[in-house]
Amino acid sequence: MNFDVKLVLEVIGMLLYATFMGFIFMGIERKVMARIQRRVGPPLYQPLIDTLKLLGKRSSVTHGFVYDFGPIFALGASITALLFLPLANFQLFSNNADLIVVAYLLEVPMLGIMLGAMSSGNPYSALGVQRGLLTMVAMQLPYGLAIIAIVQHWGTFKLGEIVALQQVQGWSILVPALLLAMIVFDIVFQAMIGLEPFDIITAPAEISMGPMVEYGGKQAAILFTQHAVQLFAETAFFAILFLGGASNLLELLIKQIAVLFVAIFVASIYPRFTIDQAAKFFWKWPTIIGIIAVLLTV
Amino acid sequence: MISGVPIILFAPIVAGIIAWVLDVRGVREILGLVGAVIPVAYLIKMYPTVAGGGSVTYGFTLGSFSMNFAVNTMTWYFAIIGAVLGLAMALGMVSTAKSGYNWLFALMSFTAVLGVFTAQDFVSFFLFWELMTFASFMMVLKYNRHASLKYFILSVIGAYSMLLAIALIYARTGALDFATISKMFAHDAQLTGLSTMGYKTTLIFSRTDMILLFTFFLTAFGVKAAAFPLHVWAPDAYSETDPSYTTFFSGALSKAGVYGIFYVLLMMMGAKLYFSLGTFHGHPLFLYILAWIGAVTVVVASFLAVLQEDLRKLLAYSSVGQVGYILLAIGTGTALGFSGALFHVLSHAIFKGLFWLVTAAVILRTGKTKFEDFGGLAEKMPITFAMGLVAVLSLAGIPPMAGFASKWLIYEAAIGAHMPLVAGAIFLGSALAFAYVVRFLYSLWFGQRPSNLDDVKEAPVPLLVGMGILGILNIVFGIAPGLVVEYINKLFGRPVITGNYYKLITPTGTYNALSVTLVLIVGIVIAGLLYVYGANARKVTVTDTYQSGNPVTEDYNLSIRRNFYRPLAEALDFWLKYSWDRFYERLGRLLEDFADVLRKSFYNGNVQSYSWYLAIILLILALWGVL
Repeated sequence: MNFDVKLVLEVIGMLLYATFMGFIFMGIERKVMARIQRRVGPPLYQPLIDTLKLLGKRSSVTHGFVYDFGPIFALGASITALLFLPLANFQLFSNNADLIVVAYLLEVPMLGIMLGAMSSGNPYSALGVQRGLLTMVAMQLPYGLAIIAIVQHWGTFKLGEIVALQQVQGWSILVPALLLAMIVFDIVFQAMIGLEPFDIITAPAEISMGPMVEYGGKQAAILFTQHAVQLFAETAFFAILFLGGASNLLELLIKQIAVLFVAIFVASIYPRFTIDQAAKFFWKWPTIIGIIAVLLTV
Repeated sequence: MISGVPIILFAPIVAGIIAWVLDVRGVREILGLVGAVIPVAYLIKMYPTVAGGGSVTYGFTLGSFSMNFAVNTMTWYFAIIGAVLGLAMALGMVSTAKSGYNWLFALMSFTAVLGVFTAQDFVSFFLFWELMTFASFMMVLKYNRHASLKYFILSVIGAYSMLLAIALIYARTGALDFATISKMFAHDAQLTGLSTMGYKTTLIFSRTDMILLFTFFLTAFGVKAAAFPLHVWAPDAYSETDPSYTTFFSGALSKAGVYGIFYVLLMMMGAKLYFSLGTFHGHPLFLYILAWIGAVTVVVASFLAVLQEDLRKLLAYSSVGQVGYILLAIGTGTALGFSGALFHVLSHAIFKGLFWLVTAAVILRTGKTKFEDFGGLAEKMPITFAMGLVAVLSLAGIPPMAGFASKWLIYEAAIGAHMPLVAGAIFLGSALAFAYVVRFLYSLWFGQRPSNLDDVKEAPVPLLVGMGILGILNIVFGIAPGLVVEYINKLFGRPVITGNYYKLITPTGTYNALSVTLVLIVGIVIAGLLYVYGANARKVTVTDTYQSGNPVTEDYNLSIRRNFYRPLAEALDFWLKYSWDRFYERLGRLLEDFADVLRKSFYNGNVQSYSWYLAIILLILALWGVL
């Protein structure tokens, strides 16, 4: 790989933009949720200043190396996932890795958080880890089926090509089979970004934020940043797969916010599933619809 | 000039026998190590020959049979994997083996596996296959009779199936060496192709023959590879033996089954099977069956792995599941799938070998195997923990580890071959893999440490060396998967996967391991800078946690040790009612009872009834016209 000044600048710019927008997305999430519940809600930049406050804390505690490394690894992996996506007119590193790699990279942060959470002796953390992994086990089958449908229809794993093909032949969701895949993916998406009815991992009212319970100060700030980057990357991933990608950042932003709004609306209506309910749900309707989608695209 | 092949083959067993006869502590360890190093060294020496497409052969006659062995491009690949794992096993056994008995049978199975991989005719293949079964059976027998008998019975079924298949081939062709048989199958396949077009031809093998051969071989190899539903022996046998030996047992011995499927079913008779058995929705039927066996194995074994309460059982089920990936990849029937399968043979061997060495170290130091007895070992065994983490990352398929590169190929192959449901099984299987490796991490290394584990020491040096070898291989082949892919391309004689050492390019996808590594490092550095910018952190003890204002004393162990994934068991309660293992056990008991009834009613010790039997048999023979 040659050292490429333009690429480096793009990467730095994109990281700053994605982190900032990710925080704004988190703000939108809280604001919209509040408006639906007829509250005023915090300002949009609230998550950002929260994070800055956490980062500025004078003292913090640690349970050892792995406890610190977990969040760092999670943020690193989220950044990696982001940089392998073709974001609007910025290709970044997306020519070097395809859909499967990105789908995996989007899951790695979870392992990082779990790793850190487990190394504290807190039983809530352990419960959160257990619930997180079981949610993942439950959602993975329909998630996989949706991705398989996409690949089978477009005949390529490369995200850049998937976007290019959609720009010529129309968005994925205009294809009936892929519309089904999109429905499945959207249900799974709810679990991916940790919103109701699948906010089983954090479940604030039950297990006090689950894996995050022990974290405070700078580690919590890193985790918030990680969540922001992850939120940006996942909404962009959705837009790339189903909504035709984007040719500029504004178009991408509109699509991301549209995806986010649907997720928030669903989240504010439904209460939380228990884990076995979630597993049974995921293995029923989303899986059936997913199977129909993949069989239609064979 | 002596070709080196006999040295590779017989060095381990000779060393094993001497170690067993002398049985002096210190000497047997050195002998075992020497016996295990020699094959690795010789195989590495042969690399230039085989990489250039050449082969090193060796043959001798035993009675009226001639036995032939060859190290060529294909067999070298499997042999080196077996040999490296054999070395890792020997390093582990230096610390864990307590007697010459272990060394004898462990090294005997080492020889046997190398013999199976390099055999060039069915006589040597079968003899070494049986030697392998016998040696591994003896290793289990010493630890657990029930597990060993289960393994033995299924292996015997497999062996008989293989014998029948070989007999059928011999009856039809009159040949036992692979080269001749391959040629006849290839020729017969062409004729079958012609006959389906309406030409009149005389075939050597009929369609029924091929169905029988496929069933017999699949049973024989399926038992060894522990494919569903013949997997039931594996969880017991893998766990009820010296865990250092299981490094080899699950890493290399199970690959003998994969090798059989790959070499005999695919390379030798693949074309013929394709023409005789036909296709199903565009996939060759015999491969389609294999793909589904693989997919079901992945899902069933991974689910069961998640629900285990014993460290060794968890890893054993996981081994079964990972071999399922290999079968599935072969079943896709594309060159990409075969490459993925071969790569996964390597990566499963190195990460599961590493897992078992870590397990061996933990069991050696603590003497415990149940998850509920562990906890907080990361502080006590930091190097072993680091190695365990490498194994976890590789198994879970985190880029950039060897496990990811091979899994990536399998994903691409399965989706690209238009087997969507089979590919769905891989997605589910990999999420389950995440779940069970986290169980391994949490229960062993983190949380509160039971007070009786306070004086646990780091693993002994030989074990650490073994772990180090496998750990480094995991990282090297992860960052430079092209090293492996380049060799695999040689097997096909054409570049199936292009790219360079760091980058894999298939017709539809790319994976640049080096750039993923570099970006990941950059990401971690950025996150690390954020961390460094923050205030210094104060170290607190593991129990000093948020407890809703109710501080808990050290007396309570708040780590979740038992039934960690209970909600999953609840969601699956319907399916967990059924078990092939219990089915076989019940079948076994029924047979036993039946035999008992027969014995009691016939051998009743009454002379009069014996004379009646005699009379009846004579009567039958007379009616039959014998007398």
